[in-house]
Amino acid sequence: MRILLIEDDAEAAAYMAKGLREAGHTVDAAGNGTDGLFLATTERYDVMVVDRMLPGLDGLSIIQSIRTAGNATPVLILSALGKVDDRVRGLKAGGDDYLVKPYAFAELQARIEALGRRVNAAAPETRLKVEDLEMDLLARSVTRAGRPIDLQPREFRLLEYLMRHAGQVVTRTMLLENVWEYHFDPQTNLIDVHISRLRQKVDKDFQQPLIQTVRGAGYSLRASR
Amino acid sequence: MRPADLFHATTFRLALSYLGIFTISAIALLGLVSWSTSMFIEWQVQETVEADASGLSEKYRERGVDGLAELVTDRTREDADRRSVYLLIAPDGHRLAGNLYNWPAQTPDADGWLIFRAEYNGGATFNTDVMARTYSLADNYHLLVGRSLYDAHRIKSAINRALGWGLALTVLLGIVGGYFTSRQMVQRVEAMSRTARRIIDGDMKSRMVLSHGHDEFDQLAQAFNEMMDEIEGLVDNVRTVTDNVAHDLRTPLNRLRGRIDLALMGKADIDTFRRVLEATLAEADNLLATFNALLTISHAESGARLHQFEALDPARLAADVAELYEPLAEEKGIVLAASADPGLAIQGDRHLLFQALANLVDNAVKYTPAGGTVTVTVAPHPSEPAVEIAVADSGVGIPAEARGRVLDRFVRLDATRSTPGNGLGLSLVQAVARLHQAGLFLDDNHPGLRVRMVFPRPPAEAAAAA
Repeated sequence: MRILLIEDDAEAAAYMAKGLREAGHTVDAAGNGTDGLFLATTERYDVMVVDRMLPGLDGLSIIQSIRTAGNATPVLILSALGKVDDRVRGLKAGGDDYLVKPYAFAELQARIEALGRRVNAAAPETRLKVEDLEMDLLARSVTRAGRPIDLQPREFRLLEYLMRHAGQVVTRTMLLENVWEYHFDPQTNLIDVHISRLRQKVDKDFQQPLIQTVRGAGYSLRASR
Repeated sequence: MRPADLFHATTFRLALSYLGIFTISAIALLGLVSWSTSMFIEWQVQETVEADASGLSEKYRERGVDGLAELVTDRTREDADRRSVYLLIAPDGHRLAGNLYNWPAQTPDADGWLIFRAEYNGGATFNTDVMARTYSLADNYHLLVGRSLYDAHRIKSAINRALGWGLALTVLLGIVGGYFTSRQMVQRVEAMSRTARRIIDGDMKSRMVLSHGHDEFDQLAQAFNEMMDEIEGLVDNVRTVTDNVAHDLRTPLNRLRGRIDLALMGKADIDTFRRVLEATLAEADNLLATFNALLTISHAESGARLHQFEALDPARLAADVAELYEPLAEEKGIVLAASADPGLAIQGDRHLLFQALANLVDNAVKYTPAGGTVTVTVAPHPSEPAVEIAVADSGVGIPAEARGRVLDRFVRLDATRSTPGNGLGLSLVQAVARLHQAGLFLDDNHPGLRVRMVFPRPPAEAAAAA
């Protein structure tokens, strides 16, 4: 993917750019708001990562300007301001996702890739399929290799999110935010327990496990290599 | 305070402008007094002249010009205070009788009155202003009857002098009084700004002195002192928290540092480094979690007006939190159940409330042994128009004497030191409860702990229920 990175902290920008390039992306970096807006309006990107506080022009103004100009490129906002109100303000300004500093690189990468994917999946899907795992979104049923799997509503949503982001890494925070829709810090690794339950139903009786644990990052739904 | 500074003082300038207004009104008043006095004196002179003239006219009617001349001569002679002026002239203009040497040059007004400067003989020669009335007699004879204004002038100038002095005294007293009044006010204001200055310079204990007069200054000083007490309390609170944070973050940071130090001392071995880095990352994440919990607490404590409250269904919150923790409880061999009365509503911040409930359930699951139960209940308060959310467990509980203390930040009971946690969970619950004006109660569940949060119902709903 082609990624624009607008971040004034040179060290953080270098670390992000390096990581993203290693993951196979093309990265342009701007160190201030004005350069960032210039690049955002003159080049085409798949995802933009915008720091909220920037010299020159702040992040939210950049997003508002490009949105007013009809540019729908997905934007991930980076910010040290982490309150729910701050998130809401960021998303209202036109951001698509919001990541609070400090963050793990894996979290950033997972979110960027999830954003890049979102645009491609524009048409509403009614069926999801990963390997031999199939999900019917209308009938709300799941089968693996033709055998029905009985899931609780929350388990269904969890699996749906994993299937929609199949092949990508999804972090625990992403799952909490998107499946449970609460912004909070669990004191215990709750998500792991939910995933292990889901594994019991989805992977246990099959040769090929589909739910993979990605160390230090989260989970990924794919055939193990 | 130097006089130059005093001149700039608001109170002094206020006193001066009052003085200005006062002086103008005093001048107007004194001018009126002076004018009416002179009118009165003039009127009195006229009365006297007319009385005199009526006597003369009677004589003239009886005995003609000769008799008149005789009487004028008599009166001139008899006039003891030498204030009367007479002149009777013949048609050819020569003086028949009277003590005035020459007929005045001024033209009299319609009633025959005129004021002029005259020389006349009243035993000695006088030279004063005279107010007189002229009468034209038959055969072109003319009579002038008048009175010296010498006394009137003296009275008038005495009065004016008195008024002038009075005015001068008023202005003087005004300036002096203004100076002292404003100096007193300025001194009190100055004392206040000195105190404020001391506080700015770091003496937080400094307070304004009250004069016990209970005036506006005292009220201001009192309000200021109360504000300072509040601020001092907050600052102390912040300081305590900062100290705690420093203490609580220093320990893991030190561990972190030690671990890295140790790894660097040994032989360079990729696997060791990897292990150390992973442990370091986990420790850093713990630090961040503590830090985030502190931020959330301070966010909740920053006040309700900053939050977007919405109407929430507490049953939904309870079900969600129970659903989220159920697998964890099951893994520990604990039964986690939620029971909620439907149709209740509370006003609140969804994410913060969920965080608070999650903390309570997390604690309950953590401190309940296998085979125990944890219940989340939502019910209307038995006696008040309020909604009660309770999390109860059958675990170790908290001794009654420690229940107040566990709400403080970073407090961990000795029995729990071995379990993971940062001692902020219940502090956060308390902060969230306060933000929602909810009561927080820790009770004995025989065995275990029962934590109740009692939320006031939204006014509209409470009214509908009543």
